Amino acid sequence: MKIAVCIKRTPDSESRFKIAPSSTGIDETGLKFDIDDFASYAVEVALQLNEKQGPGETVVYAVGPDSVQETLRKAMSMGVDRAVQLKADAAGLQDGLAVAKALAAELKTGGYDLILFGKHAFDTSAGVVGTAVAELLGVACVTAATKLDIANGRGTARRELEGAAEMVEFALPAVVTIDEGIARPRYPSLKGIMAAKKKPLETKPAQIGAPRVVVKSMELPPERPAGRIIGEGPAAVPELIRLLQTEAKVL
Amino acid sequence: MSNVLVFAETRDGALRKIALEATTAARAFADSTGGGEVHAIVIGPAGVGAAATALGEHGADVVVVAENAALGNFDREVVAATIAARASAGSYKAVIMGFSAQGRDIGPRVAAKLDAPIATDVTSIRADGETVVVTHPAYANKVIVTLAVTAPTVVLSVRPSAITPVANAKAGRVETMAISGDPSASKVVVKEMLQGGKDKIDLGEAPVIVSGGRGLKAPENFALVEALAAAFGNAAVGATRAVTDDGWRPHSDQIGQTGRQVSPQLYIACGISGAIQHLAGMRTSKTIVAINKDKEAPIFKVADYGIVGDVLEILPVLTNAVREAKATH
Amino acid sequence: MTSSSVLFLFVLTLGAGFFALNVQRLFGYMRLGLSEDRSDHPFVRLKNVLTIGIAQSKIFRDPVAGAMHATIFWGFMVLTAGTVEILIQGVIPSFSYALILPQPIYLLYALSQDAFAGLVILAIGFAFYRRLVLHPKRLDGDNLEHTDALIILGLIGGLMVTLLLASACQFVVDPSSVIVSKLVSRGLAGAIGQVDPNPVVLAQVFWWAHVLLVLSFLNYLPYSKHLHVATSLINVYLSNTSGPGQNGVMRPMDLEAEVDHFGAADVEDLTWKNLLDGYSCTECGRCTAACPANQTGKTLSPRKIVINARQRLMEKGPLVTNDRMDFLRPALLHGEGRDGGATTAAEVMEHRLLDTFITEEELWACTSCRACVQECPVSIDQLDIINQMRRYLVLSESRFPEEVQPTFESLERVGSPWAFSPGDRAKWAEGLDIPTMAEVVERGERPDILFWVGCMGSFDDRAKKIAVAFARILKACSVNFAILGQEEHCHGDPARRMGTEYLYQTLATDTIGTLDRYEVKTIVTSCPHCFHQMGNEFPQLGGNYEVIHHSTFIERLLEENRVPLRGEEGKRLTVAYHDSCYLGRYNDVYDAPRETLRRALPVINLVEPPRTKDRGFCCGAGGGRMFMEETQGKRINIERTEELLATGAETIAVACPFCMTMITDGANAVGSSVPVLDIAEVVASQLS
Repeated sequence: MKIAVCIKRTPDSESRFKIAPSSTGIDETGLKFDIDDFASYAVEVALQLNEKQGPGETVVYAVGPDSVQETLRKAMSMGVDRAVQLKADAAGLQDGLAVAKALAAELKTGGYDLILFGKHAFDTSAGVVGTAVAELLGVACVTAATKLDIANGRGTARRELEGAAEMVEFALPAVVTIDEGIARPRYPSLKGIMAAKKKPLETKPAQIGAPRVVVKSMELPPERPAGRIIGEGPAAVPELIRLLQTEAKVL
Repeated sequence: MSNVLVFAETRDGALRKIALEATTAARAFADSTGGGEVHAIVIGPAGVGAAATALGEHGADVVVVAENAALGNFDREVVAATIAARASAGSYKAVIMGFSAQGRDIGPRVAAKLDAPIATDVTSIRADGETVVVTHPAYANKVIVTLAVTAPTVVLSVRPSAITPVANAKAGRVETMAISGDPSASKVVVKEMLQGGKDKIDLGEAPVIVSGGRGLKAPENFALVEALAAAFGNAAVGATRAVTDDGWRPHSDQIGQTGRQVSPQLYIACGISGAIQHLAGMRTSKTIVAINKDKEAPIFKVADYGIVGDVLEILPVLTNAVREAKATH
Repeated sequence: MTSSSVLFLFVLTLGAGFFALNVQRLFGYMRLGLSEDRSDHPFVRLKNVLTIGIAQSKIFRDPVAGAMHATIFWGFMVLTAGTVEILIQGVIPSFSYALILPQPIYLLYALSQDAFAGLVILAIGFAFYRRLVLHPKRLDGDNLEHTDALIILGLIGGLMVTLLLASACQFVVDPSSVIVSKLVSRGLAGAIGQVDPNPVVLAQVFWWAHVLLVLSFLNYLPYSKHLHVATSLINVYLSNTSGPGQNGVMRPMDLEAEVDHFGAADVEDLTWKNLLDGYSCTECGRCTAACPANQTGKTLSPRKIVINARQRLMEKGPLVTNDRMDFLRPALLHGEGRDGGATTAAEVMEHRLLDTFITEEELWACTSCRACVQECPVSIDQLDIINQMRRYLVLSESRFPEEVQPTFESLERVGSPWAFSPGDRAKWAEGLDIPTMAEVVERGERPDILFWVGCMGSFDDRAKKIAVAFARILKACSVNFAILGQEEHCHGDPARRMGTEYLYQTLATDTIGTLDRYEVKTIVTSCPHCFHQMGNEFPQLGGNYEVIHHSTFIERLLEENRVPLRGEEGKRLTVAYHDSCYLGRYNDVYDAPRETLRRALPVINLVEPPRTKDRGFCCGAGGGRMFMEETQGKRINIERTEELLATGAETIAVACPFCMTMITDGANAVGSSVPVLDIAEVVASQLS
C-alpha cells in the first residue's frame, strides 16, 4: 500500500512551559522537540500495515519551518521510506483548515491508499487538519481510531465514543486519524538512524493562505492547588466526595 | 446581531448533554452580539425531532429537524453535509457544536465544506467586532490560548462540561428540512455499536482508575478496590509493581514505569506509597486521590486529596459514598 | 641411535605435529574475531599471571576445590620439567639432569618429582570423589559434558602412576640409577621387587606408557574443555578484567563506523580475546554460582554464554576458515561444533550466536554486577560478551523488553529515566540554600566540588532524602560546593548498560560539555553508577574529572575530624552493610562505607552477610534491570534482603540509591520493618 503519514513536531509534554515575552507563543528555550506522540502512533500504524501487507511505500509529510526536517528524519529512522517538507512559517500553523488545504493540495496527486494523522497534536490540541484533509480530498475519514485494519481494499476501525465505541467500515482511499492505545511506536535502531540520513527528504513551499485563526495571547492556567491531606480515616470520606464533586468535578 | 447555528448532538435518538451545553454557549454568544437568533439543528432517524423542546428551553429560537429513516447510527457524512447545507442557506456568524466524539469528526468537515475557519475545544466565546475570540486550553491544558478567528462564518466546538447548560426558554419553533447526501452512499458505515461497561475497561481508556498497592495487605483485599471501581461504573483497576510482582494481580494491571502509563480524569491510589516506579506511570492523572496510613508517603506529594488512615477501613465507606453520589447525580 | 630411539622420535614427531596442526586450526578460528590491542601494560599483565595464574589466587576463593586444583596445577608445573627430561631420555637414554645440575639441587628436583606425582594422585583421587560422589552443584547445569572431565582426570592419574612405576621398576633393575630422594619410587620398588625381581620389560612398558600418555594428553586437549591447560596463563595475561586500566569499563564504540551492523550477533562480531575466553573456559561454574540472576532461577548462566561462544565458533569456524584440516574437527567426545544441531553448511550459516545459542531473555537478565568476572580463575570476561550482544539487540535490531522503551524515551526527551519535568530537578534543594553552578559562577566564584545529585537523588522521594542528608553533611563541614540544578541530566549510563550506546553518547557528550563549561575538576556523587560512569567511562569521550563517591568523601571528612558529630555513644546498633556492585567490584571501594559507619556510630556492631565485599550479592537493579520486569524465578532483591536480615541486623546500610530502592522493596515484601539507610543518612543523623 502507498501510505502517507502527516506528522508534526511538538515540544515534550513533560516540559514546564513559560510564555514568551510576545505573549503569543511559548518560550522555546530549553524545550525538547520531537515527533508528536499521536503522530508517532500513526507512523507506527503505517509501518505495521506495510510490513503486514507486503511491498508498499510509506511517506511522511510535515508542514512547517526547517526544524521539522529533524522530525521527518526521526520518522524515517523508524522505517519510513521518504519525506516531504512543506515549508511554511510556524506562525501560520494555528489555522488548521489552512494547513489542511496545503496538505490536500500536495496529497491529491500522491496516489495514496491511506493517509494517516495523529488524532491531534499536543501543541494546538485542535484535531482539525486530518479530518479537514479528508473532506477536501473527498475521501472517507475515520477520526480518532483506536484500532485499524485494512483488508481487500476496505478498512475497519474502532472509535471510542463517550461511554461506548463504534466499529466502522470504510472504503479506500481514506484518511484515518490515530488515537492512543493503537500501537506502541517502535524505538529506532542506530541502523535506522544511520539509514535515515541517506533517505530522500524533499522540500517545497506550502501552498498556505493567510491564517484566519491567529493566537491573540497565551497564558498559563492558575497553578493547580498544592495537594492536601483532607483528613484521617473514614470520617474524611464525605469531604472527599464533596471536593470531587465541586472542586475537581470528576464525580 | 449575529445568528448562530448549533449542531444538537443525539445518540440512539436521544439528545446528548453536550447539545445543551453547545446551545447555552450559542445563546450567550448570540446575545452578546446584540441578540441574534440561535438555530439548533438535530439530525437523525424519525423521532429525533422530539429534542426540540429541550433545545427551545435552553435558548434555541428555531429548531431545524432533519429526520430520515435511513439514518440509524451516526452517519458523519450526511450529518456534516446537512449542517453545511443549512449553514449556507442562512446567514450565520458561527456554527457551534460540542467537542465530543461526534463533534471532533463533524467540525472540520463542516469547516472545509463552508471554507470557514475553525477553532475546536473552546471554553469561552465572545465577539470582538467581526472577529470571534475564543479561549482554548492547549498543550494538554498546560497553556491557555486565546484565539482570534476572523471570517464571515466560523466553526467552533465547545469543550464538554466547560459550559453549564442554562435554561433560557425561547420559541424553539420547529422547522424541518431534508437531509443532504445519500446515507446509502456513505463512505464510512457503522457496523456495530459497542456499549461501554460490557467489557472490562482498559486502563488506557478508563476515565477513572482505582489502584491498589501493598498497603492492601493481602490479595483478597483487592475485592475492596474492585468494589470501588464498580461503584464508579466507568473505572478500571490498576496495581503497583510490588503487587503484580507478588502475583496478587496480573502483570497487565501494573501501572508505572515498566507497566502502563495512564492519565485518567481521576486516579485513586489505595495503600500505595508512591515509589518512583509507580509515580512515573500515573502522575499526569488529572485528579489524584491517595489513601495511605503513612502520612509521610511520597504519594501524598502528588495527590490532590489525601486521606491518612487504614485503607481497609476507608474503602468500604468511600465505595458507599460514591454509589450514593452516583445515584443522586 | 637405537631402534627404540628412532621409534620414540617418530611417535614424538607424530604427536607434536598433530598438536601443532590443531593449534593452527584453533588459532585460525580465533582470528575470525575482531582485532584488538592487548599489548599495553605488560607489567600489570605479568603481575596478574603471577598472582591469578601461578599463585592461583582466584582458584583459592573456593578453598577445598582450590587446594585440589592448585596441587594439580603446581604438580604439572613441576612435573613438566621431569617430562622434558624423559623426552630427552627417549633420544639419549643416558641423559639425566644430574649431568647438568649440582647434586643438592638435583636431589631436590628428584624429590619434587616424586612428591608431586604422589600429591597429584591424591588430588586426582579427590577430584574423582568430588565429581562422582559429592556432585557439587556448580559442576551441573548448562548441559555439561562430564565424561570429558573424567577422561582428563584418568589421563592425569595415568601419567602420574606410569611415571612412578617406571621409576620404581628402574630402581628394581638398577638401584644406583634412581637417586635416593625419589622416596615414592623407592617405596613402590619394594612391592614390584616382590612380583618381578628383574622388571626390565616392565620398566620399558611403563616408560612407553608414560610417554604415550603425555602425547595423548596433549592431543586430547584441543578437543576438550581442558584446553585451558594450554591457554589459561596466556588468557590471564591478555585479560583486562583485573586491570590494566579500570575495571568494568565498557568498550568504546565508534558510532560513525561504516559497518553492516552495530554490536555482536555472531562470533565474528566478538574480538579474538572473547574467543580465546571460550578456549580458556574449563566450565568450572564459579561464575554461574555467583550470578545473581542464575542463582534466583533465571535462564542466564555466564558460563553458558562463554561456552556458547566457543560452540558457535567450533560450528562456524571450520566452514568460514575454509579449513583444510576439517578432518581434525572435533568428532571425539564433546562434539563441540555440533551443539547447534546443524547438519548442513547452509544451516551453519543460518545460525548465529544470538538466537541460535543465546536467547535475548538471557542477555536481558544480566544485572552487570560483575560477580562472574570477579570469580573467574582464568580471567574470562563474560560480561563483555553480554554487553556487546545487548548493543547489537538495541542498536541493530531495536529489540529489548518492551517495558524499557519509556525509559529510553524519557532519557532522550527529559534526560532522566523517568518522565519527570527537568524543571523539577532541583526541587529537593529548595530552601536548603544550596547554590547552583550557574549562580556561583555568576558571582565570579568557583566551588571546590560539584555535588552531582543524579536522577534518583533528584526525583525519587526516598533518594531525595539521601541528597538532603549528604548536602547537610557538606554544609556542616563547610565544604564549598554547588549543584548543577536544572543543568544536570542523566549522563547516559543506564542507556549504555542497556545497549543503546547512541543515546548514551549523546547524553554523556552533552554532560561533558556542561561540566567543561564550568571547568569542573572534582565531582562528588552519592550514586555509584554516576560515580563509575563519570569517573571511569567519561575519559573515553574526553571528559576527565576527579570523581569521588560520597562514602569516600565522607570518610575523608571524618578522618580529618571536620564532621561535627554529636559524639554520643547512643545504643549499640547492629548494622549490616550491603555492597553496591558499582562501588565494590567495579571500583574496589569496600572499606570507605564501612569505615564511615564505624566512625559515625562508635558503638556500632557491623555485621557481614555471607556474601559480602567482592563476593557481594547484587540488589538486582544494575545493568538497567531497575527498568525491567523480573518475572522469572525468585526476585533478586528478596534473596538479598533475606540474606541481609538473616545477619540479625537492626539496620541495613547502603551506599547506592538503587540498592536503597531494591532492598527497601525487599524488606517490605518480606514484611520486615528493619530500616534501610544510606550511609550519608546515618552520618547526618549524628551531626551535632
